[in-house]
Amino acid sequence: MSAALVYALLGAAIAVLLSVAKGSMRRLIYGGIFGVAVAFVAFPFVQSVGYLTRETVSPTLLGLLPRFPLLALVPLALAAGLVLARRGGASAALGGVLAGGVTLFSGLFLIAQPAGLARLIPVNGLMELLAGLVPLLVLALAGRSRPRLRWPLIGAGLILSALLFGWLNAGSGGHLYLPKMAGYYRLLGGVEPGLEQRIVEEYNAGLEERNAILREIGQPEEKPVQGLADFKGRIPQETAEQGYRLLQPGQIQYGAFAVFLLAGLMLGAGLMLLRRPRLAEVGDLRAGLILAGLVGVLLPAFDATEFELQKLVKGWPFLTGFMDRAWPPNLAAPDAANPIFPLQSVLSEMALTIEIALVGTFLAAIFAIPSSFLAARNLTQGSAFMRALFGFMRTFYNVDRGVDTLILALVFVAAVGLGPFAGVLAMAIHSIADLGKLYSEAIENVDRGPIEALESTGTSGVNVLRWAILPQVLPLFVSYTLYRFEINFRVSVVLGLVGAGGIGYFIKGAMDAGNYDQMIIGVIAIVIVVNLIDFASSWLRSRLV
Amino acid sequence: MIEVRGVSQVFQTKNGPFQALKDVSIDIPKGDFVAIIGRSGAGKSTFLRTLNGLLIPSQGTISVEGLEVTRLSKRELQRYRRSVGFIFQQFNLVTRLSVLDNVLHGRLGYLPTWRGLLGLYTERDYQIARAQLEQVDLTAKESARVDSLSGGQMQRVAIARAMAQEPRLMLADEPAANLDPVLSEEVMRILKRFNEQLGMTVVINIHALDLALKYAKRIIAFRRGELVFDGTAAELTDELVDEIYERKEMAA
Repeated sequence: MSAALVYALLGAAIAVLLSVAKGSMRRLIYGGIFGVAVAFVAFPFVQSVGYLTRETVSPTLLGLLPRFPLLALVPLALAAGLVLARRGGASAALGGVLAGGVTLFSGLFLIAQPAGLARLIPVNGLMELLAGLVPLLVLALAGRSRPRLRWPLIGAGLILSALLFGWLNAGSGGHLYLPKMAGYYRLLGGVEPGLEQRIVEEYNAGLEERNAILREIGQPEEKPVQGLADFKGRIPQETAEQGYRLLQPGQIQYGAFAVFLLAGLMLGAGLMLLRRPRLAEVGDLRAGLILAGLVGVLLPAFDATEFELQKLVKGWPFLTGFMDRAWPPNLAAPDAANPIFPLQSVLSEMALTIEIALVGTFLAAIFAIPSSFLAARNLTQGSAFMRALFGFMRTFYNVDRGVDTLILALVFVAAVGLGPFAGVLAMAIHSIADLGKLYSEAIENVDRGPIEALESTGTSGVNVLRWAILPQVLPLFVSYTLYRFEINFRVSVVLGLVGAGGIGYFIKGAMDAGNYDQMIIGVIAIVIVVNLIDFASSWLRSRLV
Repeated sequence: MIEVRGVSQVFQTKNGPFQALKDVSIDIPKGDFVAIIGRSGAGKSTFLRTLNGLLIPSQGTISVEGLEVTRLSKRELQRYRRSVGFIFQQFNLVTRLSVLDNVLHGRLGYLPTWRGLLGLYTERDYQIARAQLEQVDLTAKESARVDSLSGGQMQRVAIARAMAQEPRLMLADEPAANLDPVLSEEVMRILKRFNEQLGMTVVINIHALDLALKYAKRIIAFRRGELVFDGTAAELTDELVDEIYERKEMAA
């Protein structure tokens, strides 16, 4: 309860601050309305538990609607707020206050409810329908800019969507591969009266039988229960299997954070707008949609990454302990019984890391230069054969760009064994695509004039390439290659971690052995070399172009 | 020397076909100095580019000294082009190379491909290139990079490049439009000198009417792709000029 109020106050405070900065308040109201609308249907609001952890269901506000019909007030208030906000001025302010207030009080009412049983109602086919609509949406968007193809595209989209929907719903089709889609969206409904009494009675009736088993295996016996509270935050296995859950409105999820924050935002913005009705702008609706889109994408992402600052607070002593052991760096210990020379290792491993980057970039450039001419649109329009080559090269580049150096390195380590060679191969192959794409764009952007001039002197095609195009693109090629070398040095550090050798390998070894005072030398060396290379490369590039 | 017969040129553009030239026929004898006038988009540049085969006309034939330009294969066209100089409004030099390298480009058409790729010009090529640089008074700048030159110097390099081809015919597309009046006169004087001393045929597109009247022996005019005037400077009256440039409404 108090957390919810803090969120709401935070939202209101943001609105007040922005009003001081003369930001549009109506924009915030729109953002709040659309954001709460998204949260209402898509964000988990509270928690309901079964017997096992995986039986936990976190329903959305929409999912709670059958259990708490009062929640229908929220979408009604949002709709009213939207209508009012479009009228502008004091109406918009009232709309914000109305939508924010109703959302806030509905949410507070909900989380103040006591824990209780609820019945699961899976909505079969809803997620399948949404997934099925994706092809239609994509093709309809593609058709927007092509008026002549619009209706054929929409038709094709409809057919594809219907096929996908059918496949996802077929008994032996999609559900075999995407089992979670079936009934993924769940509503929570009310339960018949006397259910709790029945569960308690059934549990107590079966108690004697279970205790007999527990006695035999020497476990403590269970006691009779008086009510649901005695189950300590879960429900009996049979009850959960019958499709019941224990709804815990106090256990709020990130959807509650979004709803209360946005409710506070709308309320605050509405009140500020009442005082100063001129805080509205023309593009508010659009800005509000963008705001809601950001909230709709960012909040689930934070939740999915298990973002939790408490963990960092808990782990803080480890960090300070780590720094204590890492400082001062152990540059060399020649006197010990087993003398070690970490600084020397770092220098030679750093040299290897730079050498991997050098060879990888060089090989990539060697292959990218000829292939980039075939991937340049302006040089490959001559014949169908050249156009096919162009398509092939571009496809190769696009596929290659998608396969990261690290993934390639893992494959090559399996093929040619641990060591720098695997890293060099991976780096070279991935960089071909990146360099080739940059090179071919440079070729496409050359000045047409010299080409025309050399053609008009009767020069043959290859020589036009050599004397009109190459002199123009060569400095750019060198510049891009240097830039790629900068990136490849940093990639090379990481490649060491997967066994390609070099400074990354040294750091991993020191870390695994707990020699933090050696590892820190490697880290410092990387910082220095990265900056040196970036500085040198940008200086060289500025001289070239 | 040049016989143009019924040449039309149609371009496919976004807004449908555009007729740049309509049924143009003209004879240009050897040693002539022809200036082409007309408004922007009247077809002057298109006409010039069809003369050396940079563009192939949609209809009609062009023959130069008996050679039918419109029917040549790719290889034959390259052989033909090396005998035709072309000077561009934007100079179209390779600015990252030296002045001498750019002039030598005029000799590439005479070299076997492999020698061209390696830049293995013959001693004679160097002699010709240096002689042409002397003609345009740029011997001192021989090894300077082109991007360090002024606009007037660049156009002189471009002229030397075209002259290094030892052309029978010189085409020039607005060679003076990017230069100030003094440099424009200089470029025109150089072309005039080549025309008079070497008997080289010159065909030139030009905006500046005064320069055309001053230097050309013969003036032809295009209006919306059609040849509307062909005569000497003296025959070109003010009324005709107004008609060519479609200035009626403005005058009224």
